Amino acid sequence: MEDKDLQKMKVCNFEDLDGPKSKEELEEMKAPFEEYCKKVFDVGNEFVKPDALKGIRWMSTTMYIFTPHSVTNLAELGAECIKVEMPRMGDPMRHTSPFNECYLYPLHDTRPMSGTGLGFVNANSNEYYITLDYHVPESKPVFYNLVKMSDGLTECYRHGTFDRWKQGYRHIMEVNPRFIYVWGGGFGYGPKIFGGSYDILGQAHAGLASVTGTHEDFGGHATKASNWCIDWYSGSQITTAILAALYWRNKTGLGTMIEFSQVQAATRCLGYTVPLYGRFGIVRQRWGNWDTQLCVHGIIMTGKSDYPDEPNPQLKYEARYVMVSAFQDADFKALCDIIKKPDLFSRYKTHKERVGAPAQIEIYKAIEDWAADKSRSEVVRILKTEGLLAAPVMNDKEVYESEHYRLRGTVRWNDDPLFGDVLIQSAYSCGLMSRTPRKHKWLWRPVGADNVKIYHELLGYPMSKIEEFYAKGII
Amino acid sequence: MAKERKEIEINSRADTLPLMGPDVRPWPVTPPPSPEECMKVYEKRKAGEFGKFLEDNLRLEYRFDKPEALQGIRVMAMGKWRMCNKFASGLLSELGAELINVEPPEGDPLRELTPFGREEYMLKDKFGTPCGMDFLHELRNAYSITLDIEKPEGREIYRNLAMQMDILIEEYPPGFMDSLGLGYRHLAKLNPKLIYCWVGERGQWGPMKDEVSKYGQWMLDPFGMCACSWVHNTGFPPDQCPRGGKGGDPMRSGVWLADYVAGEQAANSCLAALYWRDCLGNGLGQFIECTAAETLMDILDFDITWYGFNKSIKARTGAWDPNLNQYEWNPCKDGYMMIGGQTDRLWYRIGMCIERDLPIFGRLIHEDPLLKEMAARNALQALIKTYTVTTKWLRDINRIEAEQKLMEYEIAAGPVLYIDEVAEFPHFKYRPWVNTIEDEQYGTVLYAESTNAYQHRTPARVKWLGRPLGYDNGEIYKRYLGFGPMKLRELKDKGVI
Amino acid sequence: MCDIIWCKKEKDGKVCDTVNYLDPYCFWNWEGKIACAECGTVYYIHMIQGHMYEGPDEKAGEKPDIYPLYADKPNDGYSNYLPGIEGRTRPYTCLPRHIYLGKADMVKFSARGRPVRGWRPQPPSAGVAGSHGYFWDIEKLSPEVWAEYLERLAKGEVKDW
Repeated sequence: MEDKDLQKMKVCNFEDLDGPKSKEELEEMKAPFEEYCKKVFDVGNEFVKPDALKGIRWMSTTMYIFTPHSVTNLAELGAECIKVEMPRMGDPMRHTSPFNECYLYPLHDTRPMSGTGLGFVNANSNEYYITLDYHVPESKPVFYNLVKMSDGLTECYRHGTFDRWKQGYRHIMEVNPRFIYVWGGGFGYGPKIFGGSYDILGQAHAGLASVTGTHEDFGGHATKASNWCIDWYSGSQITTAILAALYWRNKTGLGTMIEFSQVQAATRCLGYTVPLYGRFGIVRQRWGNWDTQLCVHGIIMTGKSDYPDEPNPQLKYEARYVMVSAFQDADFKALCDIIKKPDLFSRYKTHKERVGAPAQIEIYKAIEDWAADKSRSEVVRILKTEGLLAAPVMNDKEVYESEHYRLRGTVRWNDDPLFGDVLIQSAYSCGLMSRTPRKHKWLWRPVGADNVKIYHELLGYPMSKIEEFYAKGII
Repeated sequence: MAKERKEIEINSRADTLPLMGPDVRPWPVTPPPSPEECMKVYEKRKAGEFGKFLEDNLRLEYRFDKPEALQGIRVMAMGKWRMCNKFASGLLSELGAELINVEPPEGDPLRELTPFGREEYMLKDKFGTPCGMDFLHELRNAYSITLDIEKPEGREIYRNLAMQMDILIEEYPPGFMDSLGLGYRHLAKLNPKLIYCWVGERGQWGPMKDEVSKYGQWMLDPFGMCACSWVHNTGFPPDQCPRGGKGGDPMRSGVWLADYVAGEQAANSCLAALYWRDCLGNGLGQFIECTAAETLMDILDFDITWYGFNKSIKARTGAWDPNLNQYEWNPCKDGYMMIGGQTDRLWYRIGMCIERDLPIFGRLIHEDPLLKEMAARNALQALIKTYTVTTKWLRDINRIEAEQKLMEYEIAAGPVLYIDEVAEFPHFKYRPWVNTIEDEQYGTVLYAESTNAYQHRTPARVKWLGRPLGYDNGEIYKRYLGFGPMKLRELKDKGVI
Repeated sequence: MCDIIWCKKEKDGKVCDTVNYLDPYCFWNWEGKIACAECGTVYYIHMIQGHMYEGPDEKAGEKPDIYPLYADKPNDGYSNYLPGIEGRTRPYTCLPRHIYLGKADMVKFSARGRPVRGWRPQPPSAGVAGSHGYFWDIEKLSPEVWAEYLERLAKGEVKDW
């Protein structure tokens, strides 16, 4: 048969057919799932893979955590991000540190005794740091030169401030119609437009605090998440909006303005709280460490810490809480047998019966009574041996030492270019991506550390001009 | 107008049910502020023109007049029980992606969850089937289809659907889909453009990966919160409230927060992958994994970094923040009042406001040399001192009074509000951030508005909430696979859908 | 007085003049006896919703139930008693370490023993307009820390984790 006759009969390419076609591919399909995951995510080799947002340049005229985090997400995904700060002072977040104990130096050469506090960690990773004082008229052309070179900006000034300074959305769009402009703040247009906001305000004002913590009938108070969760979590939702806007811009060539209110974001995560109130007027209350919809599914206290001899009080006294979950019938029955309270199961056979409030109080008390003479690890071991779900409430040391996070690369050491040996928990932990993984490059840089890089190398200002700007306090 | 008086008798919870509801007591109870009143607020700061610009271009009411950013993107969500899958896919569908939510024929068990097991607080669809409010609130703009992937025919259907998707978000236990031949490595062969995202609590691989109990129970939030030191960090110290269920224990978030955080990062990862695939011309999908424990750990401030710095283990500090002063809430006459202001400018303004009523504040706080430097004010003793004297002021006033007083000094302050107060807070009503939708199935539902709904060009929108189980089998199976009613009937009989 | 107890007790011809701070979450609703951090005078107090319902009444010779977390002397240059001084203030139970500083911890080496720039002052090293490169030349800028690092390295005190 002639080759061309054979060609005529051909209906598809061999390469297009399903199934393993090489030894390598065969191995990949045969590999146990865990091995396969390890191989595709290839933890530790992120830098040989491309950046998802290659070519995007974003300006971060932000402070604190909330709006900066919307940009960090982009920077971790490979966008080039430029953080703009007030000359010599920097972001106020640089001046926060737990109990005033932890700083990395220097903040800026002119302030040798000041460092940047750990409060600044993770909120502005991988970015370039420049300074610019918008109050000075000469800053305006500099700002606009940057706008022309960028894809978007996130700002957090009091609403209308940038507009008053003639660098708001309306002005920028006339210079760069592809620009995506983000304002992030507490409230947005409306009666409280000028109200300032913080993470804690979101937690308090939007209902989250009212449902977090122990109920006052048990002696508890509305509890603040000690982490600035609403700041971070709201910032990530801005990133969602930015990424969608970038995608749409790719089709249409048009930028947009996003107005994002973090106080609203705290209400958004309340689940059934809102519709339950709307339909039945029920005002959801706090329910401590238990779950309003599942039982058993809560955190219990055991009798003993796992590290009674450690000097650190967090280990010595606090390593004694366990998450226990056995809400399905068979699990609950097994749990009742383990704690030697089979009568509990006979009284609360169905989930509907045991999830009621009085039942929960009785059931958790029985579990805690059983655990009263045991340590945290004993309780976890016993429950897990019987095939139930249980886990210790882990602390920072245990997270650091966890083999799990180490293998997955979500807690790792970074040799920071300016600050040295820094442990990081961010970026990689936002999600593993097989082709375009997030990357952590540097934690932060001193105030204005990239002034020459951006103003001279990117915008073309002569060095003498930069020195003049610096001397005048414009940068 | 005279108020109508009704004779009512309440003997049980059931008697209270007809007393509420959108028909009896519509939301909002009092009308929101008018745009004219807001204009006055804008004018006061000479921002009238700017305020009008915002109102004309960003108002929520205009969202349906604008295009959708993710129009044409197809998302399939495959999961049960948890929020992360729903929140992730919901963020995308609010922005215009078409979302297909796949459930087993018996339905997602989350449909059946209701606080304290109270079935009277579930909403019935037009077929009379009750649905729990968490499920209802979080499943947004989704088509609901049923499919049993444990049957070979179901697997085939699943593969054929996945071939047509841009994004697949899946949250079954580790390796489960892979064991059925439906994992990323199998589906990517059929659809190399597929962006496949697994979401879960701790991981689908690794020594602490998600577990399933011996009896088949899944691992749900707050396992994620516990695994990343979030719970350890939250709550009141036993010194301020006693331990053992009396307020002084480490504390989970009242909501399944870790799931929400994982959900948003899953959405972000998917969108970044989409950008790389389409806008940078790479044409390939990828495998993504987002977990509740790790995405929450990402936002644990500096905590793990701190351990690496000097082996500090972050401890819980109640309602006080250990990094900023002032930045806390403390009890007042009728609840808790939050006050924030850390820079010198704000800190002294708070002080001036308090000192006006409580002169001793100046002597004890303002004059103390230890409290004059911003960073030094974060020391523990500085917090104790500042907050004790602040509370001395707060105990005599209620939340509204405190807020008004502090607002005069332009301080970011706000009361801890309960949901009824949130829903009636003027700004919330004006935006509105809690909003009502007249749902085809469930009637008028109050819901938390999409956070991305305030945009000039492509705002997010909530089109419907919840969905009866398998409601869209007819449309979706016809549109994607060409199945007509006879075929669906056959599949139903076989238990495949 | 309430929320704070400004102790004016005279002892040995000297007025105590110390402010004891009754932190709100502990004392919002509280009944019992508290000792002054300076002079040890015991006061009975009964607080309801942050208000002093009864007291402070001096209870000479009785044992206290509790100490304040913090106390200071505004008329003596704000000299103070930090939390956790035995017999004066009660310990704050949720500290991140067994020691408490309340001021910047000068750290030169990370938890695994490698150099980290956690101490001050740092020698000036910025270029034009405060700009920095991408390389911490520790050997040049802080030779003593570099030398100490090499020493630690030789002793095997530097770990991977």
